[in-house]
Amino acid sequence: MGYEEMFPAMDKRWHDNATKRFASPFVDNPHDRIDVDPIILSAAAVACGYTIRDFYEKPELGIHCVGYISHLYDLLPVTHWFFSLPWVTELGLKLVYKETLPPISTGPIYSAPEDVDKMHVPSKEELVNAQAKYGQLATVPMFYRIYDYVAKNLPMTLVPISYGFDLVGAAAEMVGVENFIMWTFTEPEAADKLVDKYTQTSINGAEALADKYGSAMLIVGSVLANNDIFNDEGVERYSVKNMYKYVDGCFKRGAGPQVFYHLCGNHETDYKLFRDGLMWSPFTVFHVGYKGRNPFPSSLLKQNFQDRATCMGSVDTKLMIDPNPNKVYNQAKEQLLGGRDSKKGYILGTSCETPPYTIPGQMLALVKAARDFGTYGTW
Amino acid sequence: MVKITIPAEVKELIAKRGIKESDVNDVINTAAATKRYIKKGNDGLAKKVIGGLTVYVVSDLSGKGTAVVKTAYAHKMSLGKIVNVMSETDWKTPDGRPIAQGHVEMEYMTVKRNGPALVDPATGDSWVEEYLATKTLAVAEGLFEKKRA
Repeated sequence: MGYEEMFPAMDKRWHDNATKRFASPFVDNPHDRIDVDPIILSAAAVACGYTIRDFYEKPELGIHCVGYISHLYDLLPVTHWFFSLPWVTELGLKLVYKETLPPISTGPIYSAPEDVDKMHVPSKEELVNAQAKYGQLATVPMFYRIYDYVAKNLPMTLVPISYGFDLVGAAAEMVGVENFIMWTFTEPEAADKLVDKYTQTSINGAEALADKYGSAMLIVGSVLANNDIFNDEGVERYSVKNMYKYVDGCFKRGAGPQVFYHLCGNHETDYKLFRDGLMWSPFTVFHVGYKGRNPFPSSLLKQNFQDRATCMGSVDTKLMIDPNPNKVYNQAKEQLLGGRDSKKGYILGTSCETPPYTIPGQMLALVKAARDFGTYGTW
Repeated sequence: MVKITIPAEVKELIAKRGIKESDVNDVINTAAATKRYIKKGNDGLAKKVIGGLTVYVVSDLSGKGTAVVKTAYAHKMSLGKIVNVMSETDWKTPDGRPIAQGHVEMEYMTVKRNGPALVDPATGDSWVEEYLATKTLAVAEGLFEKKRA
């Protein structure tokens, strides 16, 4: 039995409405209410009775769960599936599946700065043909399988996406995160080269996706590079400049034009660097997780980024597993009031991926807040 | 008047893109008359809004009074005010002023968003490079049309 036989067909009435709502912030055509994107991943599989491991080990099942559960919670009309370490398999890391985590590395494969010179940036062709050598975690063949499955079984939800994801964090995995952070002080040129090689690999991969599907939305973030780890200069050098390089490089190869910038972790002061450091396309969403220990205020997000892109505000992911729906509701209300009238549109999100064991009542509180305070025409 | 040459392979390319040879000539002659174009080495990049399209022509200007067309392309979005100015590029104005990478307002179907462009903060002029016009903006225009439907 194929995974598609385990799910009822998508409800067209729901999907049509969600599609109009999803378009709202991008084309100034308000419909229904502010959309909610809790970055649902393995929580969708858990809600369908599967495990976290199932979500990652069986991506076609995982993405079908995302589509199905998006209807339950009245979320986005599009599907996605990802984890934070694309492209590292082709760069030589071994990833293993875990019961309660996304695939993780068995450990770094380089330790000395001069080792970075040995790293081979796979060409687009090598990435496309990587399955024979690297198995089911080879990135391009894996996403080809996933999107071909969606095109066949959930075509109305298909948005081919290429992930640069965390350019600094994923590159750091190649040499060990602690080692990489040390290099940024002692061997900054090697650290630059390492992130550049990962970035170039990601660009080659984006081109492979765009070749097949005609375009490819880009998701790229600054996760390891945040103010808990780096000062502003470090974030700019290792993250902002490479994020620009990634998006520009992808545009040159036909990927884009949609871009989702995801700043996870604490961006207390470095957020200011992204405004004039990134490439902005007509379809760009900008999302920041935290300022210090608190969710990044949507009022500040609006103030700094509403003239650049659609803003996505955050509710603390911790609250999604805290059995007190009003905490989610009240924080969502505060964020909505702060950001809902952003000039280029606003989306209500969570600071990062909603936890796998997200409480359904918290998800309802998130969406209820959007219905109560984000309905177009009532503010 | 500039002596304009359009090689056969370029004629084929611009025909596929729906651009007329007369439009190419118009873009080049207007740029020559107004001096509003930019240069990188021997290459010149000129643009003109013609019938709702912004048409660009890249020409080799190494010969005196001549322009050998290397490519032409167009986009439907209209370019507006400069949003930000970033690093300098290798492009320069005819009098040698550097052109920067940056962003401009782009309007399509009454929606204003931002997009990357070459910008001249002194005049407010902006230009979109071929890869952005034929790939990024072309797909973006399709998305606007679909989402506004």
